[in-house]
Amino acid sequence: MNNSSMFKRFSIGILLVWLSVFVLLPNLMIIVTSFLTRDDANLISLTFTLDNYVRLFDPLYFKVLTHSVYMASIATFICLIIGYPFAYTISQLPKKIRPILLFLIIVPFWTNSLIRTYGIKVLLAKKGLLNALLLNLHIIDEPLRMMYTEFAVIFALVYILLPFMILPLYSSIEKIDKSLIEAAKDLGASKFTTFLKVELPLTLPGIIAGMLLVFLPAMGMFYIADLVGGAKNLLIGNTIKTQFLNIRDWPFGSAASITLTVFMAGLLFFYYKVGKSIKNRGNNA
Amino acid sequence: MNMFKTAIKCVAAALLFSSSAYATTINFYNWSEYIPPGLLSRFTEETGIKVVYSTYESNESMYAKLKTYDKNGYDLVVPSTYFISKMKKEDMLQEIDHNKLTNYKNLDPSLLNKEYDLGNRYSIPYIWGATGIGVNTADIDLASVTSWTDLWDPKWKGQLLLTDDAREIFHMALKIQGHSANTQDETELAQAYELLKELMPNVLVFNSDTPANPYIAGEVEFGMIWNGSTYMAQQEDSDITMVYPKEGAVFWMDSLAIPKNAKNVDAVHKLIDFLLRPEVAAEVALEIGYPTPNSAAKKLLPKEFIENKIIFPDAETIANGEFHSDVGEANIIYERYYEKLKAQNL
Repeated sequence: MNNSSMFKRFSIGILLVWLSVFVLLPNLMIIVTSFLTRDDANLISLTFTLDNYVRLFDPLYFKVLTHSVYMASIATFICLIIGYPFAYTISQLPKKIRPILLFLIIVPFWTNSLIRTYGIKVLLAKKGLLNALLLNLHIIDEPLRMMYTEFAVIFALVYILLPFMILPLYSSIEKIDKSLIEAAKDLGASKFTTFLKVELPLTLPGIIAGMLLVFLPAMGMFYIADLVGGAKNLLIGNTIKTQFLNIRDWPFGSAASITLTVFMAGLLFFYYKVGKSIKNRGNNA
Repeated sequence: MNMFKTAIKCVAAALLFSSSAYATTINFYNWSEYIPPGLLSRFTEETGIKVVYSTYESNESMYAKLKTYDKNGYDLVVPSTYFISKMKKEDMLQEIDHNKLTNYKNLDPSLLNKEYDLGNRYSIPYIWGATGIGVNTADIDLASVTSWTDLWDPKWKGQLLLTDDAREIFHMALKIQGHSANTQDETELAQAYELLKELMPNVLVFNSDTPANPYIAGEVEFGMIWNGSTYMAQQEDSDITMVYPKEGAVFWMDSLAIPKNAKNVDAVHKLIDFLLRPEVAAEVALEIGYPTPNSAAKKLLPKEFIENKIIFPDAETIANGEFHSDVGEANIIYERYYEKLKAQNL
């Protein structure tokens, strides 16, 4: 008894230390930095200012932000279109096979995503595998330009982030009470109506979770925009990286990063609210 | 129990041995593509000094790392001229003891004692090079390319490669307009920005990592390229070449420098001296395809390499071009304009 409470305290303590050293402290440092002033020689000078946040309203950054949202939205939508049927199919398969298939989704994660992005370059290049295939099949006569386009960036984002869509979808589809589907069938609902009226609403939390897990990282993956987008199909992550590296405006980079975090927190809050309202509706019914 | 003790002793001995096998370690932070494979292990074999080698693709990222690493940072870096003057000004470098460098005399005097570091007290020239116009002659008539303005031709819409470097990109516009590429004048920069705005629709890719690759991969036929990258690309595809534009190419020099907080300064001097050896400098030049500032090494290089006008441009071409120097506070004007240019096509 005593031992287990000791263990509990110990593990919670470790967790707290971990979170405060590696999450709270760095974030506090970024928040503080975002209110300071740029200095050419010392990076930061200790002069308080709100200017960094005001400058975020520059049309330039608004343009980059809307472009990021646009790219991330398309990537998220494609992930959903591919991910939902995929997760649905897995959940219909015999219980024995499912873990193996889920395991296979995770396997590519063992390779660093940067290396996989270089792999995409090989695939999409003008003299790459995809063009060679299409040329050999006589589907095209001239190699297609795919590298350094928006298409390449979205392709890479979908490829890298798809598992983040599939896994929450799978877990929410799997949880559906089969008796509800049977009840719908007994009451004469067609397969499509059952899906629309029963399964889709019940998996909504999974859909939103998956969308958030894809959308949020997609906005920040600067190396994908750099490598396959030719460093010109900018994401908001590229702008933040440029502030820190090239312009050496750490305070402004911090302000941009904090704003992005707040934006994401807002989306998560929305998710929480939706989840709660669905739960309430379930209880009332 | 006894066996357990023996095991511990063995582990302890192994740990001791592994830490003493290399008495000193140097952290060498260099541009990508700048050291032939195997060269540094020869240095380690010879001196017992271990070299931890890592690379960067821009002066900016090297500078940012040095600024943030107080201790246990890098012992040897290779900034470009204008970063040497900037870092010197900010007290980030330490003086190099020329008495410890037996091979310093090998360097070409015409490349020493320049304004950015008089007397070379903080920097030892390692490699120099040029940025010009990259051309794939399989698709383009070489004679038709003479000027930076050729990049502005609307027929190149969405097809050019530019180096991902604000200073190099502004160099083109400033030179076309007849200004110095080291200008700090706001109106000149604003004019250059207006001209570059017209260039942006032509850009396919910004690349300062390995500009040779998109040319080799057939992704681009035209744009900016470094002379060393051209040499590398030519090994794969002899159609790729470089033109020195009539307005003047970008010239740069990357020099070995020791950060202020470097440890093992003696060992670092040994490495610098090693890199200044004629046969080593020749090997580096031949491998990466950039001109060497080492006169003694030049004598060891094959004739066709020395006579390759892309690698070793003639004195007239060099005089026509411009070396970049530190522009001080104006640097942020370049970078802010560059940021706007990049967002223009979104």
